[in-house]
Amino acid sequence: MGISPSAPVVLEGENLTMRFGGLVAMAEVAFTLKRGEILGIIGPNGAGKSTLLNIITGIYIPSSGEVRLEGQRLNGVPAHRIVARGIARTFQSSRLFADLSVLDNVVIGRHVHTKAGVFDAIFRRGRAKAELDAAAAHAEGLLKSVSRGLYDQRHRPAGELAQADRRRLEIARALATDPKVLLLDEPSSGMDDADTDALMDDIRAVCAQRPELALMIIEHDMRLVASLPDRVMVLDYGQKLADGPYEEIRKIPRVQEAYLGRKATQHAGA
Amino acid sequence: MAHASSSSTSGNPVSGMLTVIAVQAAGALYLRQFLLIDDWRFVLGLLVLFAAVLVFLERVPSVETRIEAAFARHSRLALLMGIALVLGFPFVLEGNTYALHLCVISMLYAVLALALNFQLGSANIPNFATGASYGIGAYASALLALNFGVSFWLALPAAAVVATVFGFLLGIPSMRTRDSYLALVTIAFGVVVHQLLNNLEFTGGPNGLVGIPVPELFGHAFSDPLVILGHTLPPQANFYYLSALLVFISIVFAERLHDSRVGLAWNALRADELAARCQGINVTWYKVLAFAVDAFLAGFAGTIYAFYVGFISPDNFTFLVSVTIMTMVIAGGMDNILGVIVGAFLLTMLPEKLRAFSDYRILFFGITVILFLMIRPQGLFPQRLRRYGD
Repeated sequence: MGISPSAPVVLEGENLTMRFGGLVAMAEVAFTLKRGEILGIIGPNGAGKSTLLNIITGIYIPSSGEVRLEGQRLNGVPAHRIVARGIARTFQSSRLFADLSVLDNVVIGRHVHTKAGVFDAIFRRGRAKAELDAAAAHAEGLLKSVSRGLYDQRHRPAGELAQADRRRLEIARALATDPKVLLLDEPSSGMDDADTDALMDDIRAVCAQRPELALMIIEHDMRLVASLPDRVMVLDYGQKLADGPYEEIRKIPRVQEAYLGRKATQHAGA
Repeated sequence: MAHASSSSTSGNPVSGMLTVIAVQAAGALYLRQFLLIDDWRFVLGLLVLFAAVLVFLERVPSVETRIEAAFARHSRLALLMGIALVLGFPFVLEGNTYALHLCVISMLYAVLALALNFQLGSANIPNFATGASYGIGAYASALLALNFGVSFWLALPAAAVVATVFGFLLGIPSMRTRDSYLALVTIAFGVVVHQLLNNLEFTGGPNGLVGIPVPELFGHAFSDPLVILGHTLPPQANFYYLSALLVFISIVFAERLHDSRVGLAWNALRADELAARCQGINVTWYKVLAFAVDAFLAGFAGTIYAFYVGFISPDNFTFLVSVTIMTMVIAGGMDNILGVIVGAFLLTMLPEKLRAFSDYRILFFGITVILFLMIRPQGLFPQRLRRYGD
């Protein structure tokens, strides 16, 4: 795919350090993400990948360093406000609202774009209902565009979905917030190759419909890392090891040692 | 009732209307019999009948679907018929004041259970302080009436506001905790309120407040018998209609909130708090909001109770009251309005009807909770998925 080198930076991190007591989970990591770019993040377990996502989304406040969205500092902004500013995420172990319908899950994603409060709900019901119906219509359109199969299941409880559809629903729910940046935490975990391929196609379709959307994907599946991201960042022990196109990344011996392992070393040599 | 609806065809509007009428009439008849029967063996018989109908509906879901569809299609008829039944109900109680009294108390508990349902049912916040909010409402209005001569009709909203302020106050420390710790904070709040009512001078200490004046409306005192169309109803009927109105308002509140963005946000934080935050929901605010709404309705119920009984003491608003309300929500069905009301009626009336076993009242509530959590955790009437645009 590739993006134009002149595309503006939408999200950047500077000197990000995260300490939990004596443990340094992340040390002076810097990154940039351009508009329309897909950045892959790899690294062994405990490398700090999820920590990075939690810092960006405001669940953790970094011990030092700064995250900026379009030049605006995000440190200390509560998680729910960061969503409103344009960063959405999915979770490694899917965290759907299992007892609500598929459609409700996506409607909840419209929360930051709707306004009705308790007073409107009770005394201005028409207005509140019209707003929610509009959100539901928007959500249906979104479901349809992400996956037809998911749309057909929109009235089922989300907890009944198959694994691949759960991931799709999480992506649809995150997209419902109209994000500028979408963070995917191991979207292919727990999926077989066929499901992963289908998921990659869906992600490509989502990006094609939203050329402005920037994506950050944490992944372990090397097939996905090899083909989807424009650029890959490697984390190890909370530090940035490398950052560049996959073709370059995979040749770095330290990367092969640290993460890709023997199997990938052979693969790279082949 | 089951027979009438199963023989109807789903496409026929007349049979749909008949279904609605039959189901509602059967419900009212059942309630009447339940209230008027004294022998505990007959009470048990009625319970068995209730259980049998539930089991039948569970076994033959098509009947349930048909009844639901009929109510959805003829919602206006169902509403009008429901109002007519509620208005006419005191006339078929044969002037039985005790039955009317039970109705009033059941309806007040229904309001309390609906209030708690916003928290426990919608948002999964285990609030053990609904009884305290109820007490704050009762004391606030009683004190206003006794010390400042404020009329019932002014005390009613004022007490609800006071209870809401306390609800907010309780919500603030609760924001920082969750699950069992949150439950502990609310238990502590309930105990503190009870202790304060018991020890403060101006609340009358353990003796409580006596001589709360009887409400009046257009010169009609609520202690006088109610004469409607030449038919005389006992004085309790005044409060019967008042509490029925409050239940109606609570249902409207509950339905509108449940079907709104607020209800969705509560459901989201019930299912997964972290995920809710990451969808842009201000979890803290919605939790505090649930506390406030709960306290608001409980405050209303407290005022009516205080003016109905005319005498309140701290022991009317103990921790046990909160537990009872929680049992009603769990047994009736979390996040289901009808279920919560049925739960409140059943659990208010059963202990009264089974007086022979009154020593085992607490045991009865305990067993009810355990049985429901084991056998039917979703309650009598489980929550339903939402629909949009229709």
